Amino acid sequence: MHNHRAKRLIGFILLGFILFLIGNRVDDLRLYQGASVAMYVIGIASIVLLTGFSGQISLGNGAIMALGGFSATLAQSTWGLPLPLTFVVAVLGAALFGSILGVAAARLSGPYLAGATLALAVALPSLANQFTFLGGEQGLPFDSGSAPTFLGEDFSRFKWFYWISALAALLMTWLISNVLQSRFGRSWRAVRSNSTAAELVGIHAARSKVLAFTLASGVAGLAGAVLALNLGGVSPSAYPLSLSFALITGAVLAGISTLSGSVIGALLLVGMSELVGSLTSRFSLEDVLAENLKELLVSVLLILAVVFTPNGPGDRIRERKALHKKTK
Amino acid sequence: MMRFTRSKKGMIGSAIVAAAALAVSALPAQAASTETQGVTATQITLGISQPTNGPASYGYNKVAPAMDAYFKYVNANGGVNGRKIKLIVKNDGYKVTDAVNKTVELISRDKVFALVGSLGTANNIAVSNAVDLAGQGIPSLYVNSGFSGFANKSTYKTMFPLFPTYYMETKVLGEYIKKNFPGKKVGIIYQDDDFGDDALAGLKQAGVTPAASIPYASLSQSAATAATWVSKLKTADAEVVIMYGVTSAAAFALGTAYALGYKPQWIIDSVGGVSATLQLLGIQAPLLNGVITSSFLPASTDTTDEYIKLFQTINTKYNVAGTKFDDNVVTGMNTAMMTVAALKAAGKNLTRSGVIKAIETKGKTFPSASLAQPQFSTTSHVGYNGFWIGTYDATGTLKPETGKYKIYTTDSGSGAVKVSTWKRPAMPAKGLPK
Repeated sequence: MHNHRAKRLIGFILLGFILFLIGNRVDDLRLYQGASVAMYVIGIASIVLLTGFSGQISLGNGAIMALGGFSATLAQSTWGLPLPLTFVVAVLGAALFGSILGVAAARLSGPYLAGATLALAVALPSLANQFTFLGGEQGLPFDSGSAPTFLGEDFSRFKWFYWISALAALLMTWLISNVLQSRFGRSWRAVRSNSTAAELVGIHAARSKVLAFTLASGVAGLAGAVLALNLGGVSPSAYPLSLSFALITGAVLAGISTLSGSVIGALLLVGMSELVGSLTSRFSLEDVLAENLKELLVSVLLILAVVFTPNGPGDRIRERKALHKKTK
Repeated sequence: MMRFTRSKKGMIGSAIVAAAALAVSALPAQAASTETQGVTATQITLGISQPTNGPASYGYNKVAPAMDAYFKYVNANGGVNGRKIKLIVKNDGYKVTDAVNKTVELISRDKVFALVGSLGTANNIAVSNAVDLAGQGIPSLYVNSGFSGFANKSTYKTMFPLFPTYYMETKVLGEYIKKNFPGKKVGIIYQDDDFGDDALAGLKQAGVTPAASIPYASLSQSAATAATWVSKLKTADAEVVIMYGVTSAAAFALGTAYALGYKPQWIIDSVGGVSATLQLLGIQAPLLNGVITSSFLPASTDTTDEYIKLFQTINTKYNVAGTKFDDNVVTGMNTAMMTVAALKAAGKNLTRSGVIKAIETKGKTFPSASLAQPQFSTTSHVGYNGFWIGTYDATGTLKPETGKYKIYTTDSGSGAVKVSTWKRPAMPAKGLPK
């Protein structure tokens, strides 16, 4: 068991090193996109934890992210906390809210839970408009800081964003992967598959669901804080309904039950506009067509994913391998 | 315990490796100074991020091509101090995160000298924070937003809003309502963000208390939401209705009200009250008859105006073939002309700080089609400060209230609304800033 953990840790450190090397070899735009990918990875990981493992659906992840973003910003402006601590506050704030929400969520299931969380996604960000201390639609500025001077003058602002975002994503996914392999992860899966059977072996199903909701909310809170860092501020329009949907899309495309899939999902979300952009310039498509092409491609991919690999491409490959072994 | 020591060792190991890698991988030194990024001996590269399609793009998607058309006209006439202008247009779909991404692309990959005409209040706020325009010294010229907050020079050091603020507009409209519709019940539909809030505050400042205030979330406009607006307005008995939103929202409001037999005196803001776009969105010209709107540029149908005449010729010759000449084209070309004036005034040795200084010191005298004077100075980055009010006739043509443009000027504070005595100077030869 310990051997497993150590291997995983080494894997994450190696991945971090590779990301570090990549960061030195790309330009500012790629760095900024990299930071966005990291933000999406955390956001999708939250859905993987919640939906893929605990079997609860949430269409309101964007709202929880907003909560994290606003918590981090307020922690910075009110208490003058340094950046890492604002992230901690974001996680704790969102988790606290998630635990309350989780109690309600544990009583709902399927479409009812989806509906309730959707309402949250619609209402919560615009609620910020009603309170002046949240800055209205203009929102509040978040001081993203700048890279320490010892990193050199050429160390750009975007590289700084990339470093922090990537580090946050690495740490968070490492933590989640550990949790998923633990007793909690196993009991979530048990409840997801058959809640009665799980209760019979002594798992408290409702408690296990609330815990999953709390942790997933904390993770989403971190994603929200990373977005606040990358946008240099928080505002309701930074966490629109479409963000919640994008996260779900990313999670489904990449396989909702694998954590590593969140990277594929995040890359797809960020890369799609780029791909469509290069397609349009190569085939000189009209701009109107180009924008719709993106939506079309995402929708088609989503339908294909649901039809052919409901558990994600990763799962499909694993299935194939298992089948291959059997036939041998 | 075991676990902790392991991870600690791992951390220390990775830290050493990271430090070593940092030491060996030399970073390339930056070639050119950022002060002159995007400027070569023969070319100046500018960038704009705005919606070129999507629900918020109607009408505004004509602004960037119109700017480009004017730049092409200037290029054909010798350019700016010997340099040709290249404009790179990016579509952000009026979304905050996209606006930041596209702007990063403009600055880091396309290496633009300055941003010009970036559209949207929330978008410009996010871009300014994320990219740190002020800290990096990147000029953001003539942003397409009337948000009064951009006047804060200490936050937005390198930004120059050109349009009069929404606050000024509703102050002027409020005075107009008090004078022309005394005692009538007023309703207002507004976009529920800084854009609309600014307007609501201006209206209050003018002393008009609406009987019905109806906020709507940006991009939520549809025939269905418009039906709820109308029912609320009807309940409140509103006789004069101010529509403060983008053109697509105004179109839904007018169309739905007409279908439901509700006929108040409509007043549409300068942002949404663009006749050509409204007609494109299905509002027939006769429906516009009697609708009041305000503007600071001459009406695009006013062919007696020398600027309009010039812009029409440029539109035919340099704009995307088949572009219908309207107020958005005028807006784009006027913004482009002010840009050329700033670049020219900054001199042959063009730098970012130079262009900012040029607008601060000489901006008041830049040639522009506007009937209100630009107010740029070393202490204020706000452009125009006034509006004229007009009424659409049954052909969708906007006519000034008394047949002549009467400009009301004011500020974004408690200052009075006054009738301006400023006379626009004659257009420079061929419409090329000196």
